[in-house]
Amino acid sequence: MTFLGKESLSAMPITQDAVKTLSAQLYDWSLRRVPDDTKDALRRARATETHEGAQRVLEIMLGSALRAEQTDRFVCSDAGVPVFRVTIGAQARWEGDIKAAITEGFSELVGRIQPPLLKHVTNPLTNERGYQGKDMPLVTWEVESGADWIEIACQPKALGSGRWAQAETFSFPSLADIEAYVMRAVMTAGSQHCPPVIIGVGIGGSFDVAAKIASKATYRAIGSTNPEPVLAAMEERLLRAVNATGFGPMGTGGDTTALAVHVDYSAGHGYTPVAVCFNCWINRRTRARIHADGSVERME
Amino acid sequence: MNLPEYRRIRMPMTREDARSLRAGDMILLDGEITITAGLPTHHRILACADEGRDPPIDIRKGSLLHLGSYSQDTADGGLEVLYMNPTTSTRFNPIMPRLIRHFGLTAVGGKGGLDAACREAMQEVGCVYLSFLGGGAPLHSGAITGVKAVAWNDLVAHYRLVRLSVNGLGPVTVGIDAHGNSLFETLSAQAQDRMPEILAQLDRDRAS
Repeated sequence: MTFLGKESLSAMPITQDAVKTLSAQLYDWSLRRVPDDTKDALRRARATETHEGAQRVLEIMLGSALRAEQTDRFVCSDAGVPVFRVTIGAQARWEGDIKAAITEGFSELVGRIQPPLLKHVTNPLTNERGYQGKDMPLVTWEVESGADWIEIACQPKALGSGRWAQAETFSFPSLADIEAYVMRAVMTAGSQHCPPVIIGVGIGGSFDVAAKIASKATYRAIGSTNPEPVLAAMEERLLRAVNATGFGPMGTGGDTTALAVHVDYSAGHGYTPVAVCFNCWINRRTRARIHADGSVERME
Repeated sequence: MNLPEYRRIRMPMTREDARSLRAGDMILLDGEITITAGLPTHHRILACADEGRDPPIDIRKGSLLHLGSYSQDTADGGLEVLYMNPTTSTRFNPIMPRLIRHFGLTAVGGKGGLDAACREAMQEVGCVYLSFLGGGAPLHSGAITGVKAVAWNDLVAHYRLVRLSVNGLGPVTVGIDAHGNSLFETLSAQAQDRMPEILAQLDRDRAS
């Protein structure tokens, strides 16, 4: 955090209120709209599907996405738990408690959102459900060099696909070992994670870092190319491999089990955690930046 | 949407209709369905079966679908359901065979399928599994024409046992039929069979 000198007091810092309002909006927006890249990918899948039932299921998916937009309703009744990734520019200036802002924003949203949310926030020790809980919303904080904005991304996470994420730690695995593990995770999820899914894979780092980069990889736009050539090639062949399983849309058969596989890595020790996570076909995801002048830029 | 005509099935489904369906068929549902997305709810229904009591909403020879809904009281003393969507049925695998047999269910459903033990119980009594679109809340909710009953209001909304009248709910895919055919088991076995070749292809792609 940059402390303000006298000369800069006139410049408007990013406020607690702006973070509160935007984080709540991003969650609300994410529930009512399937991202454009995802709809495009579903349309491409529908055009290439050879399985008649799968073509119909993809058509119905696109119909559901359209209806949600037209009627401003939730795409899924499971609004998930609020999950945010906040990237703070290393040169960003803000005032107030931006961590509390996200908790307050969600709390206020719960009181006013229409239609109301089901209670999904669960105490894992008692399985009691409500709208609030320890460490909720779940926020990953990151710092970005050379930026003066704060970016907030929201990806509500529900049971349907969240249930099937897994991680395993290997020692000096080959790429073949890593890819075989991804395929085991795909087999475990089978028909159950509301396919076609977006698959995030995180390789290396430490246990927590592998999971974090796997999750972060799912935020990448479908169709974007991985800047790391080794991973770009891995993503392509894994996508073909996943779609060769035949589970298909909603797991009732077809060529389209995944829309994308996104892989990222961190250097680590020779022990190499590999994390695999899934986003269901509606791929809820919104993102916006609050710039240094206080303006808000909606990015997706 | 430009969709083909689907066969429409009256709910509660008759045993005859259940037996007439085949895995992979896509149908629309009219009539009355009973739904819940709650594990505690399943435990309560199981307790009813164990103690020879009827659950507060009769499901005998009817449907029990794994759909969660947001229900609330209306100002005029009625009930309304604001939205509805399926949940993962495999969570209920250990409980469903008993419920299918005890209540003689004709239709179960949700998303993701049920296991072999459930499929055997379904074949025994003449029951089908209906796969609903996950992320289909706008479509499913639009098919609701009335709320007939809501029970166990002490539970969170999506866990309650709810009876709804629906018109044109779906299309839903028959995932498991009453003749022992399960798309889920077939596809899983097929993927397992394909896996050596899939891994070999990954090796070839990596080497090229």
